[in-house]
Amino acid sequence: MAMPVLICDDSILARKQVRKSLPESFDAEVQTAGNGLEALQILRSQEIGLVFLDLTMPELDGIGVLEAIRAEAIDCFVIVISADIQPEMQKRVMELGALAFIQKPVSDEKLGIILKQYGLI
Amino acid sequence: MPHLSLSNPILAQLNSGVLVIDDEYRIRYLNAFVERHANLALSDVIGQSIFNVFKDLPEAWLKRKLMSVLDLQSPAFSSWEQRQYIFKLPHLRPITSSSQYMAQNCTMMPLHTDKTEHQLICILIEDATDAFVYQQHLSRTLVELEKANRQDGLTKVLNRRYWEEQLKQELHRARRYQHSLSLILFDLDKFKDLNDKYGHLGGDFVLVELSSFISSLLRDSDLLGRYGGEEFGIILPETGLQGAVDVAERIRQAVADYPMLFNQQTIRATLSIGVAELDIKQHFLHEDVIRCADMALYNAKRTGRNRVCSFQAGNTEYHKKVN
Amino acid sequence: MSPLGFSIEQRDCLQEIINVAMGLASDKLARFLNTFVHLQVPSIALVGATAIPDEFEHRYQDAEATLVSQGFFGNEGVRGEAIVLYQMDNAHRISALLGYEPGDVSEIEMLTDISSILTTTFLNGLAAQIENSLSYSAPRVLSSRHSNVADVLKATSFHWEHALKVDISYQLIDHSFNCDMILLIPGEAVSNIKTILDRILEAY
Repeated sequence: MAMPVLICDDSILARKQVRKSLPESFDAEVQTAGNGLEALQILRSQEIGLVFLDLTMPELDGIGVLEAIRAEAIDCFVIVISADIQPEMQKRVMELGALAFIQKPVSDEKLGIILKQYGLI
Repeated sequence: MPHLSLSNPILAQLNSGVLVIDDEYRIRYLNAFVERHANLALSDVIGQSIFNVFKDLPEAWLKRKLMSVLDLQSPAFSSWEQRQYIFKLPHLRPITSSSQYMAQNCTMMPLHTDKTEHQLICILIEDATDAFVYQQHLSRTLVELEKANRQDGLTKVLNRRYWEEQLKQELHRARRYQHSLSLILFDLDKFKDLNDKYGHLGGDFVLVELSSFISSLLRDSDLLGRYGGEEFGIILPETGLQGAVDVAERIRQAVADYPMLFNQQTIRATLSIGVAELDIKQHFLHEDVIRCADMALYNAKRTGRNRVCSFQAGNTEYHKKVN
Repeated sequence: MSPLGFSIEQRDCLQEIINVAMGLASDKLARFLNTFVHLQVPSIALVGATAIPDEFEHRYQDAEATLVSQGFFGNEGVRGEAIVLYQMDNAHRISALLGYEPGDVSEIEMLTDISSILTTTFLNGLAAQIENSLSYSAPRVLSSRHSNVADVLKATSFHWEHALKVDISYQLIDHSFNCDMILLIPGEAVSNIKTILDRILEAY
């Protein structure tokens, strides 16, 4: 059965990059959101298995989304995608319940490794 | 590839220093420029710490710069304008300079090479001594230009414009803080006769000599300026009338006793001097004080020259003469 | 829509590339300075170079500002001048950040250092994404406390046709300050950049 996936990033290019980098073997049904509020709307109304989350977005940023997911006990995996992967940032994000952190720009290699590591493919 | 074999002769002739070190600051390579200027051979220093070989390097500062190059994999720069040199090397420029050491612009670049385990940094040393020297020259010229704006070309005392500016400021200050302020105006007696007798060069000579001599009699805070051809003024801040008269008398006496040697002839000059004190109730503009000192000066001339007169309130003789 | 005719996709692509470059620079800087650093790019704008002096006159009108300029050159006609502008009351924070003791180095040297670090790490991140590599000229201070920002910018931007204005918000663990970066680029660089952006967009 296809895994419902949400790609959340305010950049069209970034969303395309993630989509394109998903491994062939990964059977995913992909949706996209352009900011945190849109993402939460989708997360609240549907079953989403995996979220690819950008940190810097207007309206509600990545941290805000993570906090909401935890507060509302929304059941999904979150992989944060960001250019800035400072230890401080990584720590914060993991504390908020993210599964993993990938540095932009994404590539099939990077995604492949993470998805395999967490048994998603 | 043919162009690789060109790098050796190019590096040997390059008029800039090329130094390669590793992440433990050990020398891996340096080119002929460095060898010649530092008087060493690569074969003797290779593998040694750069801080052992070049003893005068600013170690802490340089390590910080080099660390940034390695960590960020970005170049770092140093300009002679901030730090005259990093490597203390003598310069071989054919120009005189206050410094015998080469002024340098340095670039520190990460070298991307897979071959070694250690990361490498290349330091480029560009001789900027010419620029350094020109800059010093320019600075000196600017200072002189600035002085020239304030100075009288002949006597080197303050020129009229600048001196009047100072008087305005001193007046303002004296009025504001209720301090005293006095003004001396003096004039060389029979200057026209002096010019006729000794020529204009003689006249100029006397002006230069006396300006210098009188300057030496003044306090640092007193301001001597050339007001006219043979007329000068002295601003005496924080000085009352009596104090100013004492100064004026001292100058008069000293000048009268001062023989000047010009073309094997002795010239003596005398001064007529007018003194006035700032009267806060009457003097609002600097011209007001000048007018009073001028009246006193006129009186000094009229009553026989080679003397000091001070402005007394109520003195109307000057007005009679002019009107 | 900018006057230079970038399409929405191209603009989005450029914004993302710049955001990523800034993020990469943030990361590097944080590790180097051993502190938390967050560099954000709230906005970018593409303008004619002649518009630059007026744009900045307002912001820096009442403040003493320092401008540091650095040239960059890469392949495919990517080249230009990067100018970083600082308000001088931020200077002491920068010095503490770089690990300098007060009086260690002159203010000018410190600003030149931080500018060079910001400019080169950011532009390197940019270059990496467009499969290019850049070399840099030494940073120069264009003005100091006493010059007028607009005049200095006029003298510089005169030589260039276009400018990419990048507002950088620089956040440190305890406080934040802003500086501005202007990338001045020649006419042909703009068309080259468009070509590169299209190539990236096509890949996706």
